[in-house]
Order: sequence, then structure tokens, then C-alpha cells
Amino acid sequence: MAVKSKSPVSKLVLAGLVIIAVFPIFWVFLNSFKQLVDIVSTTPKFFFTPTLDNYIYVLGRENVQHGLINSIVIAGSSVLIGAALGIPAAYAVARYPNRFSDDIQFFVLSLRFLPPVAVAIPLIAIWLDLGLYDTRTALIITYTLLTMSTIIWLSIPAFSRVPREIEEAAIVDGYGPYAVFFKVALPVAAKSLIGAVIFSFILVWNEFLIALMLTTSDAKTLPIIASEFTLLGRNVPWGILNASVIVLSLPPLIFVGVMSGFINSALKKKD
Amino acid sequence: MAAIVCKEITKRYGNHQVVHKFDLSVRENEFVVFLGPSGCGKSTILRMLAGLEEISDGELTIAGKVVNDLPPRDRDIAMVFQNYALYPHMTVFDNIAFGLKRLKVAKAEIARRVRDVASMLGLETYLERKPAALSGGQQQRVAIARAMIKTPAVFLFDEPLSNLDAKLRNHMRVEIARLHQSLKTTTVYVTHDQLEAMTLADRIVLLKDGRIEQLGTPKEIYENPRTKFVASFIGTPSMNFIDMVVSSQGGNFVLTSGETRLVVQKVRYDLQAGQTVTVGIRPAHLEPAGENRDNNIIAGVVDLIEYLGNETLVNFALGTVEIGALLDAGTSPQIKQSCRLTVNEKHIHIFDRESELSLICKPS
Repeated sequence: MAVKSKSPVSKLVLAGLVIIAVFPIFWVFLNSFKQLVDIVSTTPKFFFTPTLDNYIYVLGRENVQHGLINSIVIAGSSVLIGAALGIPAAYAVARYPNRFSDDIQFFVLSLRFLPPVAVAIPLIAIWLDLGLYDTRTALIITYTLLTMSTIIWLSIPAFSRVPREIEEAAIVDGYGPYAVFFKVALPVAAKSLIGAVIFSFILVWNEFLIALMLTTSDAKTLPIIASEFTLLGRNVPWGILNASVIVLSLPPLIFVGVMSGFINSALKKKD
Repeated sequence: MAAIVCKEITKRYGNHQVVHKFDLSVRENEFVVFLGPSGCGKSTILRMLAGLEEISDGELTIAGKVVNDLPPRDRDIAMVFQNYALYPHMTVFDNIAFGLKRLKVAKAEIARRVRDVASMLGLETYLERKPAALSGGQQQRVAIARAMIKTPAVFLFDEPLSNLDAKLRNHMRVEIARLHQSLKTTTVYVTHDQLEAMTLADRIVLLKDGRIEQLGTPKEIYENPRTKFVASFIGTPSMNFIDMVVSSQGGNFVLTSGETRLVVQKVRYDLQAGQTVTVGIRPAHLEPAGENRDNNIIAGVVDLIEYLGNETLVNFALGTVEIGALLDAGTSPQIKQSCRLTVNEKHIHIFDRESELSLICKPS
């Protein structure tokens, strides 16, 4: 980090904020290895006999495995398609502005202005008519609308920040518009673009409401499955819930890790 | 054969015309500088030469080929940008080699040529670094290397030194001059810095509002500015201007403004008695007047002195205008002392008050 804290007080404040942010996640992580009695005890327990029962239960359930695969396939595909279409679109808007550019940007984002319910209800009708209701295809296409609009919106400033002169230098060096995009604009903007891709992945990975309305059984995603654990009655299975939260949180973390590792290697690469 | 021929080149943005029928013929191996204040169209013309800007009207020929509709890559040019425009994600080596890679030049050949160019510019030890790890001067050298490696017919420089500090700018200016001496590549160089223009150019194209104000060698432009604008733009410190009234006296014109009286020969100037003109005198051409000299005297009480080392710039008021004179530091008057200066007639420039054109009819 470029910012250096100067006094011990500011370090203390920073540490306090980090604890506030991270502690709930840490507590969930801890609880996922506890027996129910250790969780519901009146004094919080930091030391206990860990158990894997919660994870065995969660991962052993067929609908969780199914939901996990659904989530990975749906979120992965919609991010991939959204990036493949959205990044070039953002470049076009940023580099070749015309009188519709502002409208395009607004229109793209207007999808996100509406409450998800307002988007989901007409989509239910469309997918039912097409016979695609409760399929991965339907969710992938729906989510692609979200990822693409988010990626376009976040990538336009990333491309605007690429100095025009660099691209002109490449043109003088003899490269055509596609080569300028792939060899110059894309790598120079990569850092911000990957941020946009990660953000859109997290958005659809955690998406709940639309998934709830567009799926009934086959295409259910992990957030829907996880929420169903709370419906098991008054005896809330806290351990299982905590374990499912961890299972739900791991893929985005892995994805962020892989992507930032990719950035680092791309930036350090000699050739 | 001329390397570049511009025939009535015009640039319009919508209804707004920024370059008006620009005519220029650049000779082979010549170093031409486009000089002018910001917004004069100099960079636009350069970008039209490069093919980065469309030519609205007119014809552009480079090396005998009309290139109006050719993309930059087919124009046999290379360009150095103001902000260096290096590819930040590539090493110095890749930056320099990028243009050759497109041409599918063999790897060994690329490496050889990059090393040749790098050694000419003292970049051998930096080839594996990224541009961000270089100083401004080094980055600009990489940009020049990237242009050189293609061995183009024409080099285009767009204010290449304006982002560097003063010392580095002088250093790089000398380097560019040396490079041109050894490579002899035809060069068009854009700057707003008259010192760069004077020291580098074979010929200067002085531009104002999209039109050529004057075209000539640095000496021609300095000694015989065609307009008041050219006279004020070229030379530091800048020229003094005094409004004076013309009267006729035998074979001479007499110019008066208050107490000040200048006498000039009629044959040299195209003046009318009664006319009000603007007289221009460079600070360097004012010199202390001898005791018994009584014509062409400019006198006043010194109100400001700027010490420059060998010389001092002495300022005093003459009527409503402030006059500057570059005098020898050893003998220059002190502040609040009166000073009495004179100027040789051949250094007196006279401009029409309305058209601002020079009224000298026989340049000396």
C-alpha cells in the first residue's frame, strides 16, 4: 500500500475497523466446526472440540451438490459471456463516441435501476413461453444481462483512462484497430477490467431474488438451497447454516484469488 | 525531390476551420519546425501528416506519393509524441520492437536492430525495464528509438520536449540535433518554444490561427520578421514596441513619440508622412549612447533591473510603454538612474498599425 499510517493511534483505529469487518466472518467460520450445543451456549466459546459433521451434512446433500454445480456453471458462463460481449462494447463506447453513446450508457445501467422483481416477472413469462423456465440456459441468459451491463458500465472509464496517444502510437507502428484493442488497450486497462469482471461475478453468485423466481427445482442456485436450511423449523440448525455460508463464500474467494494472481503474472510477465 | 508537399491543406471541424490552405514543401533531409502559440493548428497539421487526422481538403504528398487516404502505416513515417506514449505493459525492448514485430521481421534481426538503436541512444542497460521505471528523459529516448528503428522517410515530432525540465530539455535538444546530423532523416518538429525552433530548424514555419505567418530560416525570421506577431514571438527578451508618428524631412523619415525622435532613411521603408506606425526594437539592439550623439536616442529612468549574468535586462518607462534593454552587466546603470540608449537604424523594425505587416521595403 502506498498509504503509510503515521501514528500508533491510526494503526489502532485501522486494526479496530479490520476486526469489526472480519470478525463476523471469522465467527461464522468457527461456528461451522461446532456442535449445536457449543453454538447456542450463553457464553461464546472459542475453544471446543471441532467437528466436520456440519460440512459432511451440507456437502453430502444431493441438492447442495446440484446447487453448487448450477451456481458455478451459471455464474461462470454469464460472466464469461458478459465479459466477451461487454468489454469490446465498452471499448467502442469509450473510443468511438457518437451521439448515442450517452444513451447507450444510460440504457445499459437502467436495467439495474429497476427492482429485481420488476425484471423477474416479465422474464418468468418469457421463459415459460419459450419452455426454458427453470433451466440453466434461462438463468445464464438472464444473468448475462446483469453481468454485461455491469461490465460495460465499469469498463468504459477503464478504457477512457488509457491514453489515446498510446493507441495512436500503435497505429503509427502499423497496427489495425483490432490489434490496437487486443495488444494495447486491453492489456493496459486489464487491471480495472478484472475488477469489473470480479464484481459482476460476485453480483450474480450472490443473486437471490431473480433466481428464486426463475427456478423451482432443476436450476436452483446455491443461495436458494442455502436459504432452504432456514426453513427446517423452529430448531434452527446453526452449525449447518454456518457451514453452508462458508461453502457459499469459498468460490468467489477462489475466483478473486485466481483473477488477481492472473493480473500479477500478467503485469510481471517479461514478454 | 521534395520529401513532403502540402498543397492547400485544409482542416475543418464541422463549420469551424482550423487550418487554412496550408502550403509547404519540405526538402529531403530538411529539419522543419512548426512554431506557434497553442491553438495555432501546428499539431493538427502534424497529425494530418501522420495520418491520425483526416485532411478536409487539399493534397498531401510524402516521398512522391499522394497519401491523403493512406493509413499511417503506409506513409513511411514515424512519430514521437508529447507524452512519449510508450506502451506501459511492455519492456523497453518490446516497446522499440513493437513496430518491427508486425512486419514479421526475424527475431534475431529484431534483436540486432533494437540493440543498434538502443546503443545509439544509450539505452542498452534499460532494455528489460518497464517505462514506468525510467526517468522522463529516458522515456523520451525510448520514444525516439521506437521511431528510429523503422528507418522511416520522415520523422514527426509533436512537442517532444515540453514535458521535460529545463536542463533535460536542453540536453535532449542537443541530442535530437546530433541525431538529425547523423541520420539526415527529413524531420517535421512541432513546438511552441522559440528557442527549440531557432536552434534546431533549417526552416521555421511560424503559424498563427491556422495560417502561415512567416516561413524562413531562423536567421531570416529573426532579422526580418514579416509581421509584428512574428517579431514579438521570436527572440527573448521580446521586442519593444512603440507607437510613433511619421513625418518627412528631406531624404529621411522622422518618427516621433513624445520626446523620442528616430530618424530613418526613406529608401528602406515604405511610409507616409502623418501615418502612425508601430516601431519595434529588440532589447539586444539597444546600446548606451555616446555623450555627443543626439539622434535615435531612447532615454528614461530605470525602474527595474533583471540580472542575467553576463548581461542585465534594464527596464524603464517611455511614455506609456515599458522598454527593456539588454546591456552589459559591467556597465549597466543602476535602478533610479537615468539611462540614455541608442539603436542602429538597421535594427529598427516598423510595422503598420492596422495590418501589423512590416513596412521595410528593402530588407538589409
